[in-house]
Amino acid sequence: MAVLTAPERKSPARTPAGGKRARGPRRTPPLVLAFVLVPLLAESVWVFWPALQGFYLALTKWDGVSTPQFVGLDNFREMANDDVFRSAAAHTVLWLVVFGGLSAVLGLAAALLLQQERRGVGFYRAALFLPVVFSLVATALVWQAIYQPDGVLNRLLDAVGLGSLQHPWLADQDTALYAVIVPALWRQIGYVMVLYLAGLKGIDPALYEAAKVDGASAWQRFRHVTLPQLRSVNAVVLSVIIIDSLRSFDVVWSLTRGGPYHSSELLSTYMYSTAFQSLRLGYGSALAVVIFVLAFGVICSYLVRAFREAD
Amino acid sequence: MANLQPSRRRFLGGLGAAGTAALLSGCVTSTSSGKSSSKGNVTLQSNLSAPQAKTAMEDIVAAYAKKGSGKASLNTVAAETFRTQLPTYLTSANPPDVYTWYPGSVADAYAKKNLLLDLDEVWNSSHDLKRYSKAQNKLCTSSAGKKVFVPATYYWWGMFYRKSNFAKWGVRELPKSWDDFLDLCDKLKSKGIAPIGLGAGGNTPWVASAWFDYLDIRINGAQYHRELLAGKHRFDDPEVRKVFDRWQEVHRYFDPNGTALAFQDATTALLNGKTGMMLIGTFFADSAPKNALDDIDFFRFPIIDAKVPLAEEAPVDGYFASARTGRREQVYDLMRYLATVEAQETYIKGSSGTVLPCNPDAKDAGTALVKKGRAHVASATEITQFFNRDSSDALQPTADTALTKFLAKPQQIGSILTDWQRDAEKIWNA
Repeated sequence: MAVLTAPERKSPARTPAGGKRARGPRRTPPLVLAFVLVPLLAESVWVFWPALQGFYLALTKWDGVSTPQFVGLDNFREMANDDVFRSAAAHTVLWLVVFGGLSAVLGLAAALLLQQERRGVGFYRAALFLPVVFSLVATALVWQAIYQPDGVLNRLLDAVGLGSLQHPWLADQDTALYAVIVPALWRQIGYVMVLYLAGLKGIDPALYEAAKVDGASAWQRFRHVTLPQLRSVNAVVLSVIIIDSLRSFDVVWSLTRGGPYHSSELLSTYMYSTAFQSLRLGYGSALAVVIFVLAFGVICSYLVRAFREAD
Repeated sequence: MANLQPSRRRFLGGLGAAGTAALLSGCVTSTSSGKSSSKGNVTLQSNLSAPQAKTAMEDIVAAYAKKGSGKASLNTVAAETFRTQLPTYLTSANPPDVYTWYPGSVADAYAKKNLLLDLDEVWNSSHDLKRYSKAQNKLCTSSAGKKVFVPATYYWWGMFYRKSNFAKWGVRELPKSWDDFLDLCDKLKSKGIAPIGLGAGGNTPWVASAWFDYLDIRINGAQYHRELLAGKHRFDDPEVRKVFDRWQEVHRYFDPNGTALAFQDATTALLNGKTGMMLIGTFFADSAPKNALDDIDFFRFPIIDAKVPLAEEAPVDGYFASARTGRREQVYDLMRYLATVEAQETYIKGSSGTVLPCNPDAKDAGTALVKKGRAHVASATEITQFFNRDSSDALQPTADTALTKFLAKPQQIGSILTDWQRDAEKIWNA
């Protein structure tokens, strides 16, 4: 997506001097052309080309060694009857709702709380943003220690007299998925907060003053001034959340590998394990195509609507 | 903006056309047939990334260079990366020459696709390899009758325990039969200890397959086990059901955290006396503190049916080479060296020392544990490798899913085995 629009974004930068324009509209400075074409060429080799291969592989049966065998839509037919695929899709939706919803709500809450310039607010902002800096694999290692049968969480429960709630959190099919969402959320909230903080900074204070003069309560000011003003940020946050949800992989893979017995399997982990553990690269590519279509479809439809509204 | 449009559109159009043409010609994934260059060092791609093993491999390469007949350059890759990349290495146009990997059906799968170098020449010319056991000869021969592998070391699986703990709990006699074993479990449980540690949590769910392997080779025999893993029997057959009936008899003795702890953590639990014993391979000693090593001992997995020929799991590690290497002669020379007493003793000295050399003349680390292990393997009439080595790396995840589910919900075994068969068929047909 970003790739396709890149040349367009670059084009306004081309502000030819009046004299040059006179030579004809087809003339483009070679430097600009190079700026557009060289990255495009790199992208096409490293992004478009493998993506096209992926689409082709989705129609084949391939073990990574022999020549791929063209099987038409068999992979997609198999998917329709694949229980694991269905539960992975359901988990991905659940992930999108819980992880996406909570990170948006909590991120906005944190941003509202920390938007005023008070003493020490920088510290809190930094503290919330800090998890974003860590790699998710490192984060997962820390949380793995927390979730261990005799780890921090279970000891804490024991200490406050809730010993009966102790669990092997990552090994129990009822808790594994939620136990994996928490570290992902822990990281995402800080990121969303920063996006909203930037959005809040952009709101004209005069709007709040006017609302106050009109006697609007704090809730009314939030509902009728803040939220509408954040609409453009919302678009960004939504895209970020959907993309991050669908590509969530590292944290799940490091903590549970989709297990125990597929109970924390997401589309992304299922794709990886099918392709690179079971060496069924054709079916894995078909799963990748589904993920792509989902992400692309959701985001495109949202962006189209958002831009239409903006016009 | 408008004046940029035509050139961009033309460019994208050209790109699309080129892409379509390439797609149609099928060059996307076609296997190239290039050869690696014939100059330079032989490249040795190693998955032995644990610190001690890595140093030991470096020692071997250094010793080989000193010998003067050739030079090798070692490239150590993280084990998980190595495993997923191996098909890519072997099919690339300019592949590494020699690889650490496993013999048996794993190697044969690659040999069937003509990806492995024929090593008949090495086996015929090496004085060392001529003295290797018949079993190893067989293990390194592909189904087409060609030698494709050079074995280096092996290790064994057994029921490991801590001697001082067993003494403390008053265990005097080690179990030989299944009933003895159940008695021992009962005794340990009555003392408030989880009798059987597992270590199938975290990133090591495959450890649970050892229990499946052992119960199957004890009940149905090694022959049936190999055929089952090759897809000649079904996982929902009554024979396999018998394996799980036995497993259910000991299910309540398993550590409830068995599927929550990785084997390294389960080792700690075993050494701390939280669990009584653990079915594991000797590699677990790498994660045990050095002072505890002398306190570790093992016994044979209990005999269930005396009529079934005695089989043990003793996985062999070693080397194979890419069929596309351009340095055939240098590879042969390195392979001959890797089979020598010197190379294998160098490795054992540098690593944690719990593996046994494949060369019959090479000395092991000489500890009591290793001596006992050597006799343990020698007394078996059949040797199995391990679940993934006797089948394929691709089949392993299906076992992981089925066995972790069985450990959590033993009463659902019927549907678990049906699912397992369905998942396994997808792999066998892939």
